[in-house]
Amino acid sequence: MNKNIKKGKITMTITIGIACFVLVAIMFMQFKIVNQTDITSIENMRETELRTELANWKSKYEETNQKYEETTSKIEEYKQTKESNEETEKLVDQELEQVNMLLGKTNVEGPGIEITIQEQENAETEGEIKAYNLLILVDALKAAGAEAISINEKRIINMSDIIDINGTYGSFIQVNGERVLAPYVIKAIGNQSYLESALIGNGGYVDELKTTGFDVKINKNDKIEINKYNGEIKTKYIQ
Amino acid sequence: MQNKKIISIVLGIMCFLLTLGIFVQIRTVNSTNTTVSQNYEENNLRADVLKYKERYENKYKDLEKAEAELEKERQDSTQNNTELEQKENEIKQGNKIIGLAEVTGPGVIITLSDSKRDASTALDISSLLVHDKDVLSVVNELKNAGAEAISVNDQRIVPTSSILCGGNIVNINGEKVGSPFVIKAIGLPEQLAGLERPGGYLYWLEEATIEVDVKKSNNITIPKYTGVISYEYAKSVE
Repeated sequence: MNKNIKKGKITMTITIGIACFVLVAIMFMQFKIVNQTDITSIENMRETELRTELANWKSKYEETNQKYEETTSKIEEYKQTKESNEETEKLVDQELEQVNMLLGKTNVEGPGIEITIQEQENAETEGEIKAYNLLILVDALKAAGAEAISINEKRIINMSDIIDINGTYGSFIQVNGERVLAPYVIKAIGNQSYLESALIGNGGYVDELKTTGFDVKINKNDKIEINKYNGEIKTKYIQ
Repeated sequence: MQNKKIISIVLGIMCFLLTLGIFVQIRTVNSTNTTVSQNYEENNLRADVLKYKERYENKYKDLEKAEAELEKERQDSTQNNTELEQKENEIKQGNKIIGLAEVTGPGVIITLSDSKRDASTALDISSLLVHDKDVLSVVNELKNAGAEAISVNDQRIVPTSSILCGGNIVNINGEKVGSPFVIKAIGLPEQLAGLERPGGYLYWLEEATIEVDVKKSNNITIPKYTGVISYEYAKSVE
């Protein structure tokens, strides 16, 4: 009698033990799967995400394809003009012109928008416009596909910085190492509706600036002129 | 008898909790993991994405080959003329500044990672994370300190690069990058490392318990931009 009870107890303990073990094991397996699930991987994207991803790769492919065709045709041209220095010079000049344009060493023209920002005249408590505000605005314009940007005629190039200088007699903003003063006029060349819609509307940075209490105006212009970088682009360390 | 009852109840509760845990987990897995997608359309889209990605990658390899060939061809064509040779050098140097060519040189490597501090002890959890604006500000300060080439997680900063928030990740050049952010910059190392000065941006990130690491190096390689910069709207004028 006593023995039987003991036996039953042991069996029960073992069964429960096994059950617990299995349950815990399953839980750990689940944890692992959750951990391994990478939310940026394609397997886990939803339809809308997949559509943007597809559009993204498609446009990348098309850009690359176009550039590839341009490059191969340039190679052919070089091959054909090898004998003539004059013809070669034309090709080299063309390529150099292209490079200088991307560097910001040429004056450019095209459709785009002009944004004017200033502090409100009779605002006492509102803050000042800081370099940070202009930095974010420029970043937003680049994200919307701006091809050339300037702040108060200072061309934004790859090495441009936008910083606050805090002096004894107040602070000011410096772009490319040169002082700029309000009103700040930011010009951008690109697709007008992309540029504009990136700034206004829900979450747009211009709306945010307006809420902060700054006076912001956007003007569309079919012929915006942006001057070249007015310094020398020097490098010393890159090889 | 009393003892047995207690044991049974305890065991019952334990089993119930474990089972509950498993169900919660299964539900989470189901809602995040759509590998076993029931949706025909999504599967098609997924296949299309992969197809275009592959096509792009192949085309990009072709383009790289063609660009190398073009450079050789240009060099061959210009080598017997000093004036042309100089222009050829200008093109090469220009491409390095724009970000269309790989560059090496001395500089710094700055690593920013999300705070390791327990989120429940923070007043503002958001301050424990590295944001797009932080990366943007550090890149801007590096430019101010004279950086000649910069990359963030191997995404080269080119004239058209933007650094934007995309939810829990950051978009740079349209590519997704996340913490830790490894920012490489070429320039005078001492000057670039000056970003750590008290009151500088990195100082404030450190104050917010973001992990900041600055390493000087004499030999940094920054990859070229893996995309195409082509202007559609801007035209050069005299």
